[in-house]
Amino acid sequence: MILFDFEHESPSSTEAAVARLNEVGEEARFLAGGTDMIPNMRIGIVKPECLISLTSIPYAPPALDAKGWLEIDALTRLSEIEHSKLVGDAAPMLAASAHSVAGNQIRQVATLGGNLCQETRCLYLNQKHDFQFVEPCFKRGGDCCYPFPKNKKNVCWSVYMSDIAPVLVALNAEVSVLGAGGEVRLPIAALFTGDGLRPHTLNPGELIRRIHIPPAPSHFGWGYHKSTVRGGLEFATALMAVALEVRANGLVCSDARIAIGAVNEGPVRLDKTEASMKGLELNPANLRMLADQASQEVNPLPHHGFSKPYLRDNIRVHLKRTLALAVERAGTRMKEDRS
Amino acid sequence: MSKLKYVGQSLKRKDGPDKVSGRAVYTQDVRLPGTLIGRVLRSPHPHARILKIDPSKALALPGVKGVITAKDTIGVKHGFVETPRYPADQDVLAIDKVTHVGEEIAAVAAIDDITAQRALELIEVEYEILPGVFDAETAMQPGAPEIRPTHPKVKEDLVNIAGKTETEWGDVEKGFAEADYIREDRFENQLRTHGYLEPQVTLAHWEGDKLNVWTSSMGTFIKRAKLSRTLGLPYSQVRIHKTYVGGTFGGKIDLYSHEYCAARLSMLTGRPVRITANREEIFSAYRHSQTLTIEIKTGVRKDGTILAQRFRIINNAGAHRGSGVVVIFLAWGFIMGPYRIPNLKYEGYAVYTNHTTRAPQRGHGAPKVRFAVESHLDMIAEHLGIDPITIRLKNARGPWEQLPNNDNTHEAGLIDCIKMVSQKSAFLDKWRQARPPADSKSPLRRGIGIGVTSYMSGTLIYPNGSGVVVKLNDDGSLIVLTGALDVGQGAETVLCQIVAEELAVGMDDIKLITADTDTTPQDIGAWISGMTYVTGNATRQAATHAREKILKVASEEMGVPEEDLGIEDKSVFNLHDPQQRMSYAQVFSASVAKHRGDTIIGEGFWRTMRDEPTHPSLATTKGRWTENYAFSAQVAEVEVDIETGEARLIKAYTVHDCGFPVNPGLIKGQVDGQVSMALGQAFMEEVMTKNGYTLNPNWLDYRMPLIHNMAGSEDFEVITEQYRVGQPYRTKEVGEGLVSGVLAGIANAIYDATGVRLTSAPFTPEKILAGLRKLEREKARELA
Ligand SMILES: Cc1cc2nc3c(=O)[nH]c(=O)nc-3n(C[C@@H](O)[C@@H](O)[C@H](O)COP(=O)(O)OP(=O)(O)OC[C@H]3O[C@@H](n4cnc5c(N)ncnc54)[C@H](O)[C@@H]3O)c2cc1C
Ligand code: SF4
Repeated sequence: MILFDFEHESPSSTEAAVARLNEVGEEARFLAGGTDMIPNMRIGIVKPECLISLTSIPYAPPALDAKGWLEIDALTRLSEIEHSKLVGDAAPMLAASAHSVAGNQIRQVATLGGNLCQETRCLYLNQKHDFQFVEPCFKRGGDCCYPFPKNKKNVCWSVYMSDIAPVLVALNAEVSVLGAGGEVRLPIAALFTGDGLRPHTLNPGELIRRIHIPPAPSHFGWGYHKSTVRGGLEFATALMAVALEVRANGLVCSDARIAIGAVNEGPVRLDKTEASMKGLELNPANLRMLADQASQEVNPLPHHGFSKPYLRDNIRVHLKRTLALAVERAGTRMKEDRS
Repeated sequence: MSKLKYVGQSLKRKDGPDKVSGRAVYTQDVRLPGTLIGRVLRSPHPHARILKIDPSKALALPGVKGVITAKDTIGVKHGFVETPRYPADQDVLAIDKVTHVGEEIAAVAAIDDITAQRALELIEVEYEILPGVFDAETAMQPGAPEIRPTHPKVKEDLVNIAGKTETEWGDVEKGFAEADYIREDRFENQLRTHGYLEPQVTLAHWEGDKLNVWTSSMGTFIKRAKLSRTLGLPYSQVRIHKTYVGGTFGGKIDLYSHEYCAARLSMLTGRPVRITANREEIFSAYRHSQTLTIEIKTGVRKDGTILAQRFRIINNAGAHRGSGVVVIFLAWGFIMGPYRIPNLKYEGYAVYTNHTTRAPQRGHGAPKVRFAVESHLDMIAEHLGIDPITIRLKNARGPWEQLPNNDNTHEAGLIDCIKMVSQKSAFLDKWRQARPPADSKSPLRRGIGIGVTSYMSGTLIYPNGSGVVVKLNDDGSLIVLTGALDVGQGAETVLCQIVAEELAVGMDDIKLITADTDTTPQDIGAWISGMTYVTGNATRQAATHAREKILKVASEEMGVPEEDLGIEDKSVFNLHDPQQRMSYAQVFSASVAKHRGDTIIGEGFWRTMRDEPTHPSLATTKGRWTENYAFSAQVAEVEVDIETGEARLIKAYTVHDCGFPVNPGLIKGQVDGQVSMALGQAFMEEVMTKNGYTLNPNWLDYRMPLIHNMAGSEDFEVITEQYRVGQPYRTKEVGEGLVSGVLAGIANAIYDATGVRLTSAPFTPEKILAGLRKLEREKARELA
């Protein structure tokens, strides 16, 4: 139960929504599927006086633009992304990540935009504070951090747990943001600050309009893995998304992007490992070497009871397997291209 | 023996249609006009003195109708155990100090939730913070912060001892001296919660001279007793109504503060008051299950025969005695049941800490005890070069064994259970075969393991007995009055089957009125694993009583001796001339007309161990525990990924001696439910705490298994008893004891698959990986 009063409005266009939010100001928030917002209001970590609902706004189904980029409206429900034939063909990794979010009931209402804009998570944060952890932590505007009491003032190591954001990062996606001054198009990575206190770069009143995913090159392979304890209805222990290209002549890597999720304040790219991959033959021994390197390159925050060394172990093994899958897919695709 | 028509059949649940159609009324569904919302103010500190409570600002808030603190109580304490040795130690509202996070300090009743919330924020409490202690072994040591005084009968130099169970027989030292091999191990387990989906909720309505209460519980009579006493009302002024219950698993037995608060606030305001706990409250302030640290030392002969065992068990009881002094007693029982232990020394300590108070949870310690004992036994067997089945058969108790406390194993089926589960699972073919061939690249390893358990089927505890009334209606249908509460386990269905069998009446012709403290007879409640046995026999007796009356009247009317009469289909017939018959409706009329208005009411009552004066001593274990031991042997097959450490249960086999299965379908439901609980305990569930605060008070971060985590589960019954119409029968426990063998089996199976011996649950990837690394290092050292 939400224990405070608030207003609720449902404008019928994104422009109207942005205009309304700018009018009402600081105390207003967008509400999409509400699967992140409502629980956060219930536990009192956000207390908007007015919710501008986006649910009455019509949105277009996923489509390819003139250049062959896949365009998805930010209001698209995750279940629609998961089941869309077009998304499955053009960006199967995105479909896989949408499928891995929460459970079916949530995916029926949760939106893509809301998924990207979800709050960071921390065991101390994601609960009511009626009698536990009553003193507000840095993230709640207070003066302490419960799990990391030695942290400097205003350093918050909550983790960003979107299943989809790392995939979009690995796919080099772009995002259109609608603000009072109109629409701008940015690389997806520009959405994230890497700061647990304020994980998103969006200003209040800025709205994610849509996501753009470039067409996959011909020798492309992908791999996605979400580590969990029980395999569903659960945020990730660690999450990895791999997109790679191989040269036409074999399994030598020509380009790669690896994004890790759920273990830092935002999605993280593994620049060094990606650099070592380029020009390397992606055989099992090299994949093992790359995964070892990656597990050293990531700097996971201990979260939700998982220790840093365990998270490294988890990423090392699962990334090796995820890379292998991506290589296999690239190989299959190459064969398909040739035939 | 006549063929049974109802008993022994998997008949559909009596409560099924109500539940699937949404007609079932749960406490939250009971609506009364003018109901106020109650909320409880809880301690933000694990240990603190209360210097001052000032509710005046809250009382002044418009919309607030009542605020209570300890001052509004009569100061009567309550507890899970209330005996001369272990008097109640829990206040309904904290008086001068709080001893755990979330302890109840005050409560408000207001016109709506938001007002109630504001009122809570306006209550001013001044605390003096005291040092807290959370680890039981630290809390025992002299110098630790004192939460409550050590029990006066415990003379050791220890603090915070809520109670101790101590017992021994034989000569343990001599047993160890004669042993060929002695081994010592230590086991630990995590804090788990019950995971009932229906939250704790109570609606109370004081009508001037009568308190009506609806509350989610496991038995209404114990609630009435404790509520009446803490309120200072005669039992006759308190009525607990029956509502459907959405899960309990041990978590809703004795009194909870919110029940008292709803009642007291209703008495003060004259309006109905409802308190519904939210999930965070349930996770961080209510009672979870018991944790045990178990140290075992065992001496065996070369052939695996157990000669002596020594146990030291430490229970982290939390802030109050709760069921801590029961679990350290029961742990002894779960040790003594399955295997012969000629010499035993047992010590169990329940220790106060600044954690929330604890309650029983399905199995009440048995899963922890059996995980320890069965793992330890496998380690011994391996050292001796004996397989797990042989060592168990060597020590398993057989039928008619007299136990050291004068209990008797009666028709124990344990040996058959072990043999059958071994055969059904092809145990010895799979055991140690799990390792894949050397050229396999697969990181997956399969393993198999076994666990054995015995469990009590009812014991002597409040209120010790059950009464049942069976009334004949004038159309020949029946009304059954019983205090038994169906908490999902199927009590209503099973009792109905018994009445149907005894009186030859269809299930749909029987209406049950249950668990209403004003209108139904007293009952033990659904929480000591004895309902089918105790309430069932009372029901059988009541039905028999009614049948005797029916036959007497019919015999007079038909001019046929009673022994020549049979019953079927709501009528009595002449066995020699089946055409000659009388319907129950006709019998009813005749009885009323010719027996001075006798409307044919059957009465029955039952109590386990009827001639025992009282329950066994929790402190010394003296006295009989149960007359009905259930036995089981279970096998688990697991798959472990040795690169990631991730493990899962593939299949569970359960073979159990349940006496006689009154409803095999319901038993299967119990088995499957317990397999799922065991795998949750093995792999995923843990209430994480830090300094008494709960870190994961929600369903996302406390991971219960999901439907796709369920493992295959096969179960087989070893039937050792019979049901005969009109005769007392024995059924054995099936609802609690079957978590244990699966949990123990999983631990042993992980060892079989990987060589990693885990001595603390849950069996996380992190622990399995650490174990594998240790093995690698040891191997490297051997090679070097
Ligand atoms: C039980 C449960 C399990 C979950 N499991 C997962 C999981 O496994 N993986 C995962 O990734 N997530 C999970 N989630 C989080 C889930 O809430 C998001 O995945 C979901 O996609 C959020 O979308 P929404 O439309 O409901 O967002 P909302 O709750 O409506 O909004 C979330 C935030 O985004 C803002 N917002 C919404 N739309 C826009 C927009 N277009 N532009 C700018 N800001 C916007 C809102 O103002 C709000 O701050 C889970 C949630 C629950 C309750
Ligand atoms: S990590 Fe962040 S959210 Fe968690 S307690 Fe610290 S400041 Fe608060």
